[in-house]
Amino acid sequence: MGDRDPLRYFRIEARELVDQISAGVLDLDQQPGPDQVSRLLRFAHTLKGAARVVKQTDIADRAHEFEEVLVPHRDETTPAVPADQMRELLRLNDEISGFVAALSAPAPPVATEPPPVATEPPPPEPAPEPAAPAAPPPEPAAPAPDPGGERAPERAATADLDELLDAIGEASSRIAPLRDGGRTLARLHRNVETLADRLRVGRTTVSDASARTAVRRLSGDLGALGRRLTDAIDQVERELDEVRGRAEGLRLVPAGSIFTALRRAVRDAADAEGKRVRFQATGADVRMGPHLLNLISGAFLHVVRNAVVHGIEPEPRRLAAGKPAEGTVSVHVERRGRYAEFRCTDDGRGFDLAALRRTAEERGLLTPGADAGPQALIDLVLHGGISTAPGVTEVAGRGIGMDVARDVALQLGGEVAIANRPGHGATVRLIVPLTLLSMNGLIVEAGHTTATMPLDAVRRCVRLAADEMAAATATARLAHEGEVLPFLPLAGALQAAVDEDAEPRSGVAVVLAADRDTVAIGVDRLAGITTLVARPLPDLAPAAPVIASVSIDLDGNPRLVLDAHGLVAEARQESTTARSDTVSTRPRMPILVVDDSLTTRMLERSILESAGYEVDLAASGEEGLERARSREYGLYLSDIDMPGIDGFTFVARTKADPQLAHVPAILVSSRASAEDKRKGTEVGASAYVIKGEFNQEELLAHIRRLIL
Amino acid sequence: MTRAGTVGSRLRRLRTDFDQSFAEPARSHDEEHLELLTIRAGGRPYAIRLSQTSGVHPDRPVTPLPGPQPALLGLAGFAGAVVPVYDLAALLGHPVAEVPRWLVLAAGTPPLGLAFHDLDGHVRSATSDIIRESGDEAGDRRRGSLRGLVDLPGGSRPIIDIPATRAMVHALAGHAQAGDEEPS
Repeated sequence: MGDRDPLRYFRIEARELVDQISAGVLDLDQQPGPDQVSRLLRFAHTLKGAARVVKQTDIADRAHEFEEVLVPHRDETTPAVPADQMRELLRLNDEISGFVAALSAPAPPVATEPPPVATEPPPPEPAPEPAAPAAPPPEPAAPAPDPGGERAPERAATADLDELLDAIGEASSRIAPLRDGGRTLARLHRNVETLADRLRVGRTTVSDASARTAVRRLSGDLGALGRRLTDAIDQVERELDEVRGRAEGLRLVPAGSIFTALRRAVRDAADAEGKRVRFQATGADVRMGPHLLNLISGAFLHVVRNAVVHGIEPEPRRLAAGKPAEGTVSVHVERRGRYAEFRCTDDGRGFDLAALRRTAEERGLLTPGADAGPQALIDLVLHGGISTAPGVTEVAGRGIGMDVARDVALQLGGEVAIANRPGHGATVRLIVPLTLLSMNGLIVEAGHTTATMPLDAVRRCVRLAADEMAAATATARLAHEGEVLPFLPLAGALQAAVDEDAEPRSGVAVVLAADRDTVAIGVDRLAGITTLVARPLPDLAPAAPVIASVSIDLDGNPRLVLDAHGLVAEARQESTTARSDTVSTRPRMPILVVDDSLTTRMLERSILESAGYEVDLAASGEEGLERARSREYGLYLSDIDMPGIDGFTFVARTKADPQLAHVPAILVSSRASAEDKRKGTEVGASAYVIKGEFNQEELLAHIRRLIL
Repeated sequence: MTRAGTVGSRLRRLRTDFDQSFAEPARSHDEEHLELLTIRAGGRPYAIRLSQTSGVHPDRPVTPLPGPQPALLGLAGFAGAVVPVYDLAALLGHPVAEVPRWLVLAAGTPPLGLAFHDLDGHVRSATSDIIRESGDEAGDRRRGSLRGLVDLPGGSRPIIDIPATRAMVHALAGHAQAGDEEPS
């Protein structure tokens, strides 16, 4: 004990090496390449050496054996490691991880992992019992996730500590200008004292002019110093914000840290089943709390194993179905606002619905002959613990894995869903709320509030001039790179106070993408980028869906973190609402457009139709009257200057006709005089819209007001 | 020896009693007195039992939180914790446009801040000055978060019961089964 734990550094190094060996072996198995063997040899050799030094002969011997297996393949251009040697490598790898894991804090860490595994033996119904001999093979894989999960925080820490140190260095370097400022302040102080002395001594003789000049210069210097200090403090603040964010992020672990364990589980299950299965994973960078990730890792081990055992068909069957001989199991991790989604997709046979139905009926979960839809059957898998395992050779019933996944989801306040594509595979989705989440944010200001947008959803930012901003706000749309995007002013979405009469101001449109949709969010100003840790909204604080979570700023005040999915949905909805106010339940009355100009007719028609109205067209007042009498309209929209009868006359005649008098009319004209407007009102028009100031929002507002 | 021991133990007891009398100064008062905060919410005078709160703070920045609850002013930070802040005047059914300046933390969990406009003071009132309204229990539902009145020199003030207010907020936020309705 005097030496203070001789294994301290070995433990860290060994974990790193075991990690690299575990990943390397799987790489070698899946895509053998020339440098993999040499890399593995290097790792094993380093481990052997280090283990010898600290007298860990068990580990050193295994590492040596590991080397022995690999050495013959060192010079092969494409190493061909026979299956039995591969298995031997995996076995040694497991043994080494076992020994290394045993070196670290003994009892407690193990307790976190076993629960999911422990649940495995009890659930099997009497039927899978004979499968017991087959069950052990995948079991040895179980220890693998333990070290994997436990190790993760440290590994994350080493990667991120560098970044944290960088950020701290950056923050310290920002102190220099403050120190300069202090020196400048001291100099100015001396100047003031000198000046004060001169004023006292000279009383009246020192010329006023020179004193004034000195004072003016001092005042200028002080002003400049003030500005410099403010700038410097701003920068220090920003850097500290960064430091804080990174430090908080150290508590979190990348999702990728569980991928090796999952990959290994897939490999082992495939091996036991005699199948060829490729494992793919994406989303390794999504970070979350280690506890959460541990639980999910436990559940997903079952899910991926199930996908191999029950999903992926035997090779001949795959070939017969026109699929590649090698099956694919992919795991995808994604952050969706305040949730994390873990998806496991396989390209196997999907759930066997007929077998499910049979089992459900046998167990009395389903009345024979009852018409249960595919989803209802799938739900039984999730809720009833039914397995689709058709034979006794299967390792574990699919239902058991689902039970574990469901328990984990329940424990974490999330949910599990299954999408079944019979014959083409299945997707199991585990969605859990995140408690702490590190993310990069774009700080934006809108309507006197500051909020953070998730930077990974931001595609680009576009500066908008005052009039562009006003137009985008009015139409709820923004043309961007040849595409029309829904436009949502953030101030509105945040219900922030907006000065209605304020001069339209320039701003920035932040183009956001989420859920395969792109929208533009209008903000007043961008205020920088920050690394932050988002935490869930507190209890008792129900919030709009555009709010994902909250972070704490440097002053300890909460700052809202926006939800990209919520913003996209809101922008989409607002934009649709603007287009067709409310798609009323009643069928709406058609609108008659009377105008001699083809362009105007088409323009008005497109506006009205996109707002959800049915539109008829007439090219003259006469034609308009004829149509008005042939059909019941909800509104007339008429030009004034037309050949034949003009718009005033058209409206006056409809008002004179008892059949048509109740239909409101809007005059649309380039005539802008008060006289014309008065005349319009006189003949009975309900509204008067000037073409020069044509504003489709205004027009639609009139129409919504007038039409049923 | 025995005498010295007796004196020693006696001394110790006296000292303990002496210290004890300082350690628990309010116990005897508590039975007859009540510590109250006198406040104004939306221009109206109220009183709050100090024992039902866990802190009073002026000018705490509150980040507005858009959402379905108009009474929810937003979120405030307290030592790294994020606390929802509700407007007392709005909860009491007479919201005003003015932004409340003061914030009282309600005792209990989850954290809850209640904002009011003015703090008149801190008074100790005799329990005899508390007027329980007749049918207090039966009338609870209708009266929302007010429980009784206190007679003070400036006139009588309704007492805002913090647990009842908390229950109301829980109901508004969908945190618990709806108990009290918002007073109309």
